[in-house]
Amino acid sequence: MAAIELDGLTKRFGDVLAVDDLDLTVEEGEIFGFLGPNGAGKSTTIDILLDFVRPTDGTARVLGYDAQKESLQVRQRIGVLPDAYHVYDRLTGRQHMEFVVESKGADADIEAIMERVQILEAADRKAGGYSKGMRQRLILAMALVGDPDLLILDEPSTGLDPNGAREMREIIQAENDRGTTVFFSSHIMEQVEAVCDRVAIINKGGLVAVDSIEGLRGSTETTTTLRITVSDIDDDDVEMVRAHENVRSVALDGTTLQVTMSGGSKFDILNELDDAGVEVGDFSVDEYSLEDLFVKYTTEQQEVEA
Amino acid sequence: MSALAVAKKDFRDAAQSRALWALLAVFVLLSSLLSYAYAEFPAEVVGSGTDGASVGGLIFFTSGIVTLFVSLTAIVVCYKSIAGEREIGSIKLLLALPHSRRDVFLGKLLGRGAVLSAALAVGLLIGFGLGFGLIGDFDLVPVLVFLVLTLVFAVTFVGIVVSISATTGSTSRATTLSIGFFLLFELLWDAVATGIFYVANGFSFAGDAPDWYFLVTQIPPSSAYTASLITLLPETADAVGIGVGADQFDAFYATTSIGFVFLVFWLVVPLAVGYRRFNDADL
Repeated sequence: MAAIELDGLTKRFGDVLAVDDLDLTVEEGEIFGFLGPNGAGKSTTIDILLDFVRPTDGTARVLGYDAQKESLQVRQRIGVLPDAYHVYDRLTGRQHMEFVVESKGADADIEAIMERVQILEAADRKAGGYSKGMRQRLILAMALVGDPDLLILDEPSTGLDPNGAREMREIIQAENDRGTTVFFSSHIMEQVEAVCDRVAIINKGGLVAVDSIEGLRGSTETTTTLRITVSDIDDDDVEMVRAHENVRSVALDGTTLQVTMSGGSKFDILNELDDAGVEVGDFSVDEYSLEDLFVKYTTEQQEVEA
Repeated sequence: MSALAVAKKDFRDAAQSRALWALLAVFVLLSSLLSYAYAEFPAEVVGSGTDGASVGGLIFFTSGIVTLFVSLTAIVVCYKSIAGEREIGSIKLLLALPHSRRDVFLGKLLGRGAVLSAALAVGLLIGFGLGFGLIGDFDLVPVLVFLVLTLVFAVTFVGIVVSISATTGSTSRATTLSIGFFLLFELLWDAVATGIFYVANGFSFAGDAPDWYFLVTQIPPSSAYTASLITLLPETADAVGIGVGADQFDAFYATTSIGFVFLVFWLVVPLAVGYRRFNDADL
C-alpha cells in the first residue's frame, strides 16, 4: 500500500488551475520531498490530502483511504504541520498537546514528545508568547502525538534560522528511522536535498520531475542541453537524433532544435545532422547543477519533452 | 464525542480572554441596574398604568432589554468563531486532527453558547436576587421559565451568528453580515414590516392590515422570544398587561404560540444553512 497516491488530481479555483492532472505515488517508509516555487500548487495538493480543499477532478488516497470520503480515518493516522497555521495564543503549549491527545483519543506521553522536539521547558507558557521557532516545534510536537504512520509537513523550515532548520531535518530523520513516512514540501532545493529519499518537482500545478536525489544529481551532472539553430529539418531527422543512444529528449521549436543528452559527444549529433542534409547554424551548450535544474524546471515553461 | 473536545478547547480559550470577564461584569451590572430601576421606580420605567413593582413585572421589564443585549453580545462573542479561525489559519490545526467539520461547527456552537449562557445566567441571577430583595417578593416558577427561555434565546442567537461566521473566511464579511442581520431583524423590522404591508396593499396604508401581517411582525428572533415568554407565562403577562397584539387579527395562527414556531425556525434554519456552506467550502 502506498502512503500517498494521487491519480489525475486537478483543482481549479475559478480561472486558476492550481493543480493540473497530478499523478504521484509516495511509498511507505520514504522521506519524500515535494518541491516547487511559491504558488506551484504544493499547498493546494496538501490541502486536498487533508480535505481542506476538494478536488475538481481525480482522486487522492492517503494510507489507503480516500482523502475526501474517508478523511477522518486519514487524519486519525497522520501528523500534520500545515502552512500558514496559527496557534491559540491564549492556550499553553501543554493545553495544545492535551487538545490533540483528546482529539485523537491517543495514549501519548505529552512530556516525552515535547522533550523530543525540545519545547518541554516552555510547556506551561502561553503559546502567544512563543518565538516562531518554538511555535514550529510545538506544532511538530502536536503532529507527533499518537505515533502517526505519515507526517505531512508543509514548508517546515519556513521562518527558522539555519540552526533551527538543521534541527528540523534531524527530527524528520529521527521520525523516519522510527518507521514514519514523511512527506514534506519546500521551495528550497537545499533543504530537500539533505534529507529526502525521493523528490517531486512541481510547477504551475503540474509534475515536472520525480526522482531520487541521486537520480536527479546523476542526470544533471552529466546532462547537457544543446540548442542548435537548424534549417531544412524534417521529422525523420528529429527521429534520427532521438534514436541516438545518449539522447534523453529532443524538441523542435521553430528553427531551434533542443537536445538533452547524458554523456556522449555533442559533435556526433551535429555531424549526424550535417550528414542528413540539415543546415546547422549556431549552437549553444548548457550544463546544469541540481539547483539550476530546479530553477530551470520552475521558472521556464518546460521545453524538453521526453 | 469530538465536538465536545472542540467546545472544551474553545471555552478554555475564551475563558482566558478578558472580553469574557468584561462581558460577565457588564451583564451583572446591567441586570442589577435594571432590577434596581424597576424595583425603585416602577411607574417611571414601565409606565404609569402599573400598580407597584412585582416579580412578573420585573421579568417582562428585563426581557424587553435583555433581547437587545443578548443579540449584541452574541455578535461580539461569535462573529469571529469560524471566520476568524479560517482567516488566521488556526482552523487548519483543528481540521488536521480527526474532527469532522460537523464536529468543529457543533463544537463552536457549544463552546460559544456556553460562554454566553454562563455570563448571562450569572448576570441574571445576581440581578434578580437584588430585585427580589428590593421588591420583597419571590416566585420561583416564572423566574425559572424566564431563565430557561432566555438561555434558549441566547443559544439561538449564538447559532445565528456562528452560522453567519461559518459562511465566510473573512472576518470583515462576517461582521458586515452579522450587523446587517441585527439591523434588519432587530432594529428596523417594524419599518420593514410596515413597508411590506404598504407594498402588498398596493402602495397604500388604507384599510386594516391583513391577517398575514401579524406573521410578518412576529418574524424577528426577539419577537419570537417575547411571544414564547407570554405563552409560557400567560397569567404573569396578563397581570403586567403585556401582549403582542394578536387579538387584532382573526386567523388561527394569530396567537402568541406562533413565537415557538419562529424560535425553532431561527434555531434550526441558520444552523442548517451555515453548516452546509461550511461543509462545502474550500478552506
